[in-house]
Amino acid sequence: MLKKFDYLSIAWLLFFSFFFLLMLQITLRYIPFSAEASFLQIKQTEVDTLGPYLSIFYIHVYSAICCLIPGFTQFNSFILSKYKKLHKYMGYVYVLTVVFLAAPSGIYIGYYANGGWLAQLSFMLLGTLWLLFTIQAMTALKNRHIKLHREFMLRSFALAFSAITLRLWKVILVYLFHPAPMDVYQIIAWLGWIPNLLVIEYLIRKKYKS
Amino acid sequence: MKKLILFSIISLLFSCNDNKKVNDDSSIVEDSGKYKNLYGFWVGEFVADVYKEGSTISNNKLNIAIKSIIGKKVIAQSIVAGNKRPLTGEIDTANNRLTFILSEPGDDKYDGKFEFELIDNTLTGTWTAYDQSLTVTKRTFKLERKEFVYNAEVMLPENQYLDQYSGQDSTITDTIDNETETYVEKYYRAASESVYEINSSTHKFTEEELKNLKKLDLEILRNTIFARHGYTFKKRAYRQFFDYVDWYVPVTDNVDTELTTIEKDNIKLLVRFEKYAADNYDTFGR
Repeated sequence: MLKKFDYLSIAWLLFFSFFFLLMLQITLRYIPFSAEASFLQIKQTEVDTLGPYLSIFYIHVYSAICCLIPGFTQFNSFILSKYKKLHKYMGYVYVLTVVFLAAPSGIYIGYYANGGWLAQLSFMLLGTLWLLFTIQAMTALKNRHIKLHREFMLRSFALAFSAITLRLWKVILVYLFHPAPMDVYQIIAWLGWIPNLLVIEYLIRKKYKS
Repeated sequence: MKKLILFSIISLLFSCNDNKKVNDDSSIVEDSGKYKNLYGFWVGEFVADVYKEGSTISNNKLNIAIKSIIGKKVIAQSIVAGNKRPLTGEIDTANNRLTFILSEPGDDKYDGKFEFELIDNTLTGTWTAYDQSLTVTKRTFKLERKEFVYNAEVMLPENQYLDQYSGQDSTITDTIDNETETYVEKYYRAASESVYEINSSTHKFTEEELKNLKKLDLEILRNTIFARHGYTFKKRAYRQFFDYVDWYVPVTDNVDTELTTIEKDNIKLLVRFEKYAADNYDTFGR
């Protein structure tokens, strides 16, 4: 049983590392700072007409990549038992980054998202739930309710992980159906995080049962 | 006689005091005017006739622009596939036929000699390459008179536009009557209705309007601007969409000074979106 779990965590680490590097590569497109970098090429209307858009967009880009690092450390049973301090400090960094930078900026740029109101609603909902789950996880910790803390952090990270799943779904859908860009965007806006939540909810319940 | 009187009146208006000049002018005008009805654009398909077997060839739209015919001397231009070449030669009226032999200068790889005849308002003839090692060494054509006026309103006809040079194999597995079959199908980029529904010359685009368009749509919308101005396309990837359009007449290889402000702005925006689509459409990212 223990061995099987190890294989799983190694597989997860490899899978996660690969996509983390891709995300890092995407983030590096925004260095040096430019008003026309990458995704901003099709966002010049917002850049030109909305004063805070560019700053908030960059806050999101630079902070969101930090929210993926817990995927290496925070759920690893070895680190959890042997390096409690690392867990604690990494946790603080994650929570502060999500609550004050990545989630609020995500909700703001979500309001101006491509793909119409359907996509906008999805991204704003995603940002709000991410913020709430993270706060709830910290409240649980304050009440020394470790199990609840773990559950809400799993939910929080499942939503952070949508950065990767959203982009992965896009590649798959474009490869299979060659849809118009915004058609696929409306779909991945939802497909990016709802299945993540369902999967993590399933895993949480499964663990609870056994 | 009528003509002479008319000329006299015109020249009297402009130069009342020099009667001698009247005769000189009229003689020149009459000489060059003899074939004036032939001046202008002659347009049609430039059909590959002799070519290397197995090579990909395209029958481009050819425009022979006749500039002047003075005496027997003909000055013209050939405009085809992004190449605008000067033509000089002679017209021959022997045996009640009107035949032309016009030559390109020979300093371009694709230069050659045009031989054609005017039959029933059609210039019918052949082109032979100087360089016989080219893929296509002989082409035929039937050209008809075409007017060219820039019109911002003209649109691509309603059609299903496929990029026939984008063929990509995709393996498809299908189950028919409980038997699994695997076959390879070619997949081509297809354009949306936007390419004949939105006018890129009269309407200034917003980002919002372009976001849901694929790269091919953006490319066609941008090149429709150039086509309206009579630009001759070097890339056959673009020629394929315009060569068969009735209003499209290739007349120039440079339209930079002709573009309107709306068109310039739209081109800038379209280029930006094309680049974004090329970099991001099918890759891991947004």
